[in-house]
Amino acid sequence: MALRLMLASYRIASHLRISVSHRAFSSVVLKDLKYADSHEWVKIEGNKATVGITDHAQEHLGDVVYVELPDVGRSVSQGESFGAVESVKATSDINSPISGKVLQVNKDLSESPALVNSSPYEEGWIIKVELSDAGEVKKLMESDKYSKFCEEEDAKH
Amino acid sequence: MRSPRILEVWRLGTVNYLKFLKIQDKLVSERKAHQIPDTLLSLEHPPTYTLGKRRTDHNLLIPQSQLTKIGAELHYTQRGGDITFHGPHQAILYPIISLRSIGFGARNYVETLERSMIEFASMYGVKARPGNKCETGVWVGDRKIGAIGVRISSGITCHGLAFNIDPDLNYFEHIVPCGIADKEVTSLRRETDALLPSEEVIHKQLITCLAKAFSYDDVLWKEDPSVILDTQR
Repeated sequence: MALRLMLASYRIASHLRISVSHRAFSSVVLKDLKYADSHEWVKIEGNKATVGITDHAQEHLGDVVYVELPDVGRSVSQGESFGAVESVKATSDINSPISGKVLQVNKDLSESPALVNSSPYEEGWIIKVELSDAGEVKKLMESDKYSKFCEEEDAKH
Repeated sequence: MRSPRILEVWRLGTVNYLKFLKIQDKLVSERKAHQIPDTLLSLEHPPTYTLGKRRTDHNLLIPQSQLTKIGAELHYTQRGGDITFHGPHQAILYPIISLRSIGFGARNYVETLERSMIEFASMYGVKARPGNKCETGVWVGDRKIGAIGVRISSGITCHGLAFNIDPDLNYFEHIVPCGIADKEVTSLRRETDALLPSEEVIHKQLITCLAKAFSYDDVLWKEDPSVILDTQR
């Protein structure tokens, strides 16, 4: 029984990769996602994608008090803003890592914007998109590259 | 060896809010296209109330129709934060800077803006502090002396901070300032017995505190504001 639990937890841990930096905190980066240099993540499942902001992003934002969501049906373009989050009296644009059509928005964020902080990769997802160009995913970073990108950015100050 | 970080500063005097928004839009596009370096606008507005992205107009306590009677305008913006007042004798700084080049997120940026104002206040013996959670801004005790409301788009900042030198605080009676109901608004004039120098000197001091807080190597004071005020170009 204990062995099975141990193996199960090892399997879960192998899906995660914790990036350790010199700084006081380390941010979580998930292996099976792709990342934009503006700190959004995307999970591709066939021709559908789920988009959110990363753990690194939510740490650097502070407590999110408001999320501006796009309308369902509107189109999004890679690298362009589709919404915003507000934290510490700052509105920060959220850019889409991929192009396509918005199928669904996370309505829970209207009542509970803090989900972006507490669960950036799961309950804090922001939009679901029907991809218009699967090839665009090549322009995004894999988890290893994104972890390194975050470390380099944090080292700038 | 990294290249020196330069801040270009434009001191514009009193600028109408809509005109400022046009100037800001132009500068933000230029900064995003790397056509200009990090830029700071230092100015004042005529009596103006502004709202942030959340459009919390329930915090305006007089009907909009009354605004012209008190000589004020109201504008909606895309910045963070709640309702605030801008007017003569309030020093406003609008940094249009790249946060990506210093690896800053919203939180670091806003905390550094707070530190700039706190450092400035200390020059006059005023002990200011950053706000508690959900109370971003700069406070002297329970009285708010400096406000912040910013927007970050593709890593470039706009809007900024407002520090009360000696504005007419009665204008704040018509709003729930920053959405915080039970706290007062104050000014440098109220908090210090020190002799205040000219506003030109005061603005320069505040700018210098900001430049130091953001570790700029050099500040370039731009002498001819008409270059930037002519938005027809």
